[in-house]
Amino acid sequence: MTDSTKGIDPRGPRFGAAITGVLLLVVIGLWLSGLTVAALIVFAYITLVFAWGAFAGVKRHPYGLFFKAVIRPRLSPPTELEDPTPPTFAQGVGLVITLIGLLLSLIPGVELALPIAAALAFIAAFLNSVFAYCLGCQIYLLLVRIGLLGRKHGTPAAA
Amino acid sequence: MNPVAVVAILSGLVAFAAALGLLWKSRTGRVRTTNSANSVDLPEVPLAGRATLLQFSTEVCAPCVPTRRVLGQIAESTDGVTHVDLDLTHRPDIAARFNVLQTPTTLILDRAGVIRARIGGAPRQADVRAALETILAA
Repeated sequence: MTDSTKGIDPRGPRFGAAITGVLLLVVIGLWLSGLTVAALIVFAYITLVFAWGAFAGVKRHPYGLFFKAVIRPRLSPPTELEDPTPPTFAQGVGLVITLIGLLLSLIPGVELALPIAAALAFIAAFLNSVFAYCLGCQIYLLLVRIGLLGRKHGTPAAA
Repeated sequence: MNPVAVVAILSGLVAFAAALGLLWKSRTGRVRTTNSANSVDLPEVPLAGRATLLQFSTEVCAPCVPTRRVLGQIAESTDGVTHVDLDLTHRPDIAARFNVLQTPTTLILDRAGVIRARIGGAPRQADVRAALETILAA
């Protein structure tokens, strides 16, 4: 699972989460100020970047590449490299939350879905960036147990 | 909405997220002793020695890797203690059986396989050693 030749600097995804978190605050700020179209555009951009991270993998994430090219050379080497699978999973969770919010907000009467989804995604991004909170640790098994994930791999109960 | 109210709401959101983070940080990795008679009887978990550190992991769990190292070191340096790491990514049955909702989750088993303590989140080395001492002394 963890391969030091394939690992990533764990500070990369946390740096990306900080950018995403700030942008999500911008979305909520714009929306509350009545600039709902501008909020929608920034939110759509955030959703797109989550899709990029989820499908291309966190190693090809634009903020991660920026971190690697510009920030990382100025820092001390990481104490440990990490498997890219957990942060890639977190990008997928971000994509689901923002995409649901984006689509719902286009329906007249439920525009509030946009700031609500943005606030949820902000909390996740903030916890990830500031506290190194691991989303996959907290919700993967939950999703498996309510049947949303992993059923196709399910093995019958052990004796 | 006026700018002052917008800033107030955004600040409130940041404060709320920070409070959640601090709460999580204070609770994660804590050792909870269990009094139930539940025991672990799995072919994947051989009960060798006086105590077993049973770690549950998944593929999407970053702190599971350092946890593996911490528990592995404890097992190596403590006589009669073994460490078993079980990947639950494709084993929802085991996750359901032991009510595992987050990873890493660590169970400390005595020689009979009875669950004596449970740790949700990345455990601290000193806490695990202290819990082991109590269990091994009994």
